[in-house]
Order: sequence, then C-alpha cells, then structure tokens
Amino acid sequence: MKIGYRQKETLIMSVKTVLFFGIGVLFLLPLLWMVSSSLKYPSEMFAKEFSWIPKSPRWENYATVWNGEVVSMARGYANSAFITVMSIVVRLIVASLGAYAFAKIDFKGKNIAFMLLLSTMMIPGEVTIIPRFMLFHKIGLYNNLWAIIVPHWFAPGAIFFLRQFYKTLPTELMEAAKIDGANHVRIFLQIMMPLTKSALASQCVLSFVACWNEYMSPLIFLVKKELYTVAQVIQWTMMEDVSRTDMMMTAATLAIVPVVIVFFMGQRYFIEGIATSGVKG
Amino acid sequence: MKKQRSSLKKGENIVGWAFVAPTMLIFFVLTAFPFFFSIFLSMADWKFFNGWDKLKFVGLENFVELFEDEDFWNAMKNTIIYTVTIVPLSIGISIVFAYGMNGRIFGKKVLRMLFFIPYISSMVAVGAVFRMLFREEAVVNNLLLDLNLISEPIKWAINAKLSKVPIILLSVWCSIGYQLILFTAAMQNVPNGLYEAARIDGANGLQQFIKITLPMISPTIFYLVITRTMSVLKIFGSVNVFTMNTSTKSNTSVVVDIYNTAFVKYDFGPASAMSMILFVLVMVVTAINFWGQKKWVHY
Repeated sequence: MKIGYRQKETLIMSVKTVLFFGIGVLFLLPLLWMVSSSLKYPSEMFAKEFSWIPKSPRWENYATVWNGEVVSMARGYANSAFITVMSIVVRLIVASLGAYAFAKIDFKGKNIAFMLLLSTMMIPGEVTIIPRFMLFHKIGLYNNLWAIIVPHWFAPGAIFFLRQFYKTLPTELMEAAKIDGANHVRIFLQIMMPLTKSALASQCVLSFVACWNEYMSPLIFLVKKELYTVAQVIQWTMMEDVSRTDMMMTAATLAIVPVVIVFFMGQRYFIEGIATSGVKG
Repeated sequence: MKKQRSSLKKGENIVGWAFVAPTMLIFFVLTAFPFFFSIFLSMADWKFFNGWDKLKFVGLENFVELFEDEDFWNAMKNTIIYTVTIVPLSIGISIVFAYGMNGRIFGKKVLRMLFFIPYISSMVAVGAVFRMLFREEAVVNNLLLDLNLISEPIKWAINAKLSKVPIILLSVWCSIGYQLILFTAAMQNVPNGLYEAARIDGANGLQQFIKITLPMISPTIFYLVITRTMSVLKIFGSVNVFTMNTSTKSNTSVVVDIYNTAFVKYDFGPASAMSMILFVLVMVVTAINFWGQKKWVHY
C-alpha cells in the first residue's frame, strides 16, 4: 500500500511536533526542578533518591520567604513593583515625546541630536556607572529607589522603535488638525499617541521584564535591606552567612511568577516587540 | 507672509526641542557627562571615600598596571572564552530549532512559549537554580554518575577547567527563546518558491537548508552575532551568581572585575580604566559590524 502525499505530510508533522515538544519539556526541566525544590526540605532537594513530587509539600517555605524577618519577598515585590511602574510610565511618555518630535516635527539640529542618541547605544552602561554612582551619592539618591528609576527614562532604543511607528502615521492627519488650530501638544496627545498603542504595549512588556529582573544597579545603589528588589532577595538567600538553600528556590520561583503572568497576558506584544526591533528593554 | 513663515519655523524649533528636552537632559546628565568623566577617572588614582583632595592624576599608569594585573587578564581571557562559546552555541542551536519548527507543526505557539520562559526569567533566579543543580551532591553530578560518564562527582564551582561550563550552559539556555523569535520571523520571510524550485531540481532537505535558508537569513545571523557578542562581552549576572562566596578566578568576567574593583574596593581609578578597555572592545565589535555587513551579508 502506498501512502499518499497528504498522509506523509501529516506523519512528518506529527513526528516534528512530538520531537520538539520533547525538547521543549527538557528545556523547562530546570524550572520544574526549581518549583519542585521550592516545596522540599534542603536534605530532600539533594537526596540520592530523587523525586519530582515532594513527599509532603512544604508550603510554609513560601510563607517564610514572603514574610521573612530580615529580608522579605513582600518588600522585594513592593520595591520592584514601584521601580517598574515608575520607570515604565515616565519612560514611555518621554520616549513618545522624543519619537514624535524626531518623526514629525521639523526642528533645527534634529539630525545631530538623533545621531547623538543613537551613538550612545554603543556605550555600555558599565562605562558610565562609576560617575553615575558618584553623582547619585552626592545628590542623596544612594539607597534610594529613584536611583534605579531615573536612568530608565533615557531609552534611545524605545525612541528609535517608536519613531518608526510615528513615521508610518499619515502626515495628512496632522495637517488637518493644524488647520483646525491644534498645536503639536494636542496633535501628539489626542491624535498621534493613541495610534501607537500596540507599539507602546510592546515597549511596555519588554520594559517590564527588564526592570523587574534588573540586577546590577540595585546591587550597587540599594544597600539597605528594606530597599532590596526581588533579584536582591534571591541574592541574599545565597549569601554565605545566610545560605538558605530551601528559601533560594522559593525566592527564585516567586521572582519568575510575575513575568510569566505578564508574558501570558501580552504574548503577542512580546513577539512583535522583539521581532520588529530586536532590542531588549 | 515671509515673516509669518519664519516665525512658524521658529515655533517648530522651540516645540521640537521642548519635546526632546527630557531625553536630552537625561542623556547629558547620565550618559554623556559620566562618559567623559570616566575617561578622566581612568587616569586617576583615587578611592571614592578618600575625598577629592586625595585624587592623584597618574596619566596612563592604571592601564600599564592593568596589563601586568594577572586577575584582570584572567577575567579578560574568561570573557573571550564566554564569547566564543556562548555566541556560536546559542545561535547555532536557535537556527536548528527555528528550522525544525518552521513550516507546519502542531502547537507552534505553545512551543515558542516553552522556549521563551527562560529568556524572560530573572537571571539571578535561574542562576540560583543552575548553581544548585551543579552543586557537588546535586542532580547534574548524580545524573552523570548514573550514566557512568564520570567516576566521581565534579566540583563545578571550583574546578579550574570546568567552572565555566555551568555559566556557558546557563547563558545559552536563557537566550535561545529570544533568538528563536528572530530566526522564525526571518525564515517565514523566505519565499516558498525558492524551496519549490530547489525541490524540482532535486535538492534534498540539507542542501535546501545550506543553499537557501542560511543565505536568506544571513542578515539576522549577522545582527545576532554582533548584538550577542556585545552583550556577552558585558556578561555579569550569570557569572556573579556563580562567583559569589567563592574565591576562584577561573570563571570571573571583566564586568564582574569592574564591579568588585569599583563597588567592593571602591578603587575608582583602575575600575574606570577597565571600563574604558571594555568600551574599546565594544567599539571594535561595532566597527566590525559596519565593515562586515557589506561583505558577508546577502540582502
């Protein structure tokens, strides 16, 4: 019996599907191990007799990490959430203003300013962090959440990304509004910015992930334990004098949950944001 | 009429600059000024808590000292090793996965999601997981022992030869989801007619992949090689998680060295000199980018 072209296609498709789902599950094993370990005793975590399902799940691990006395994940969530929200809201406004101006307003020195911004994308943040530290220390932003937030407002990548969107919006819209007596501020706020909603959503989810996960600046600027971000709470559980292996995996799980939720809600925007710009954060 | 137009133009200038003012302000205060200040600091001998009067201008001495500093060379060597392993591995695997998942396959969206989750996860969180997995008494060693691949547990954290392996695996694992999206998008743009023509000419799957897919996605490959190289040169989080609480030098990186010199020892002069060397490295990659784009990429 000969198998037809259709059946052959379906067969290949099924094999591929099974193969890649297999790889995909293998891919997630470290994270599944993390979740499983977060519900175990440390001794159980490294036991020779390995089991994915904990004998008696220790949900109290989560309570311990969430309400920790010295360092608590509840505070970590609050700090990271504050940083993330304040960073994103202002960043999107500032970047939109810049993007609109670069795309739609004809002003003197525009090209030089734009080139200047683009060229800074090549300067690694690590190169400017020391003088930035001195400056923030001087003006009282050391041990202050705003030290993490304010630098996020400068986003040449986001400006570049949004500018592409503004460029595709028809200038006729603007002209019509101008004749009706609207100025740039109104055109921007009432006509143009609302049209870039999906681009803003992409930038929003990408920024969320970058801000929530940020590690190096909090490590440098936030030394007081009550200011620790989520990443620092995990780091704290790993420190020598603390070293709570049981809490480590619980803290790690708690850190990842919000980004996974945001990802599920805004999957489309993640994919679009990355595929069109390829810029993280 | 003429006057009106010029005042209109002037208005545009003011509005334009007003719109970009917030960005330009932060740019000057937090990027441009610190950048030039870094150049200055890289030629100074100064500890942050010593006060300005203790600052000594030493010219290029910091750089000379760095060239003799074994720890820095070590960090540089490790960073280069990270770059030449992580970039090709992660890009190679992503291309193969993207090609395999290209075309018709069930549950494409779910699949893409499975691969994407490590990418959006906090580096410290997944770093902690890998650190635990690679503990001496933990899962990875047990697995290798069970498979008879090793005869005694490996001390991953301090083994001079192997301490980079967990970090490389972690970095590759984390970045695949991101690259997969870009390669999938690139492959979807390859015209189907090219494959059909090749099939008629009798080209098999592998030939189609090498002769059609690879050249057609070469701009994306090139883009990712450049951007990934730049980001791995700055590798910090994944390394920091592993070097915490250890005194091994076999897996540190340049940025970890900068961080420790600047914010543990507060030795701002040498740390700035290191960051300048990092900057030059990134500039070299950028130059290769401009030069190579014309040479290697098929558009």
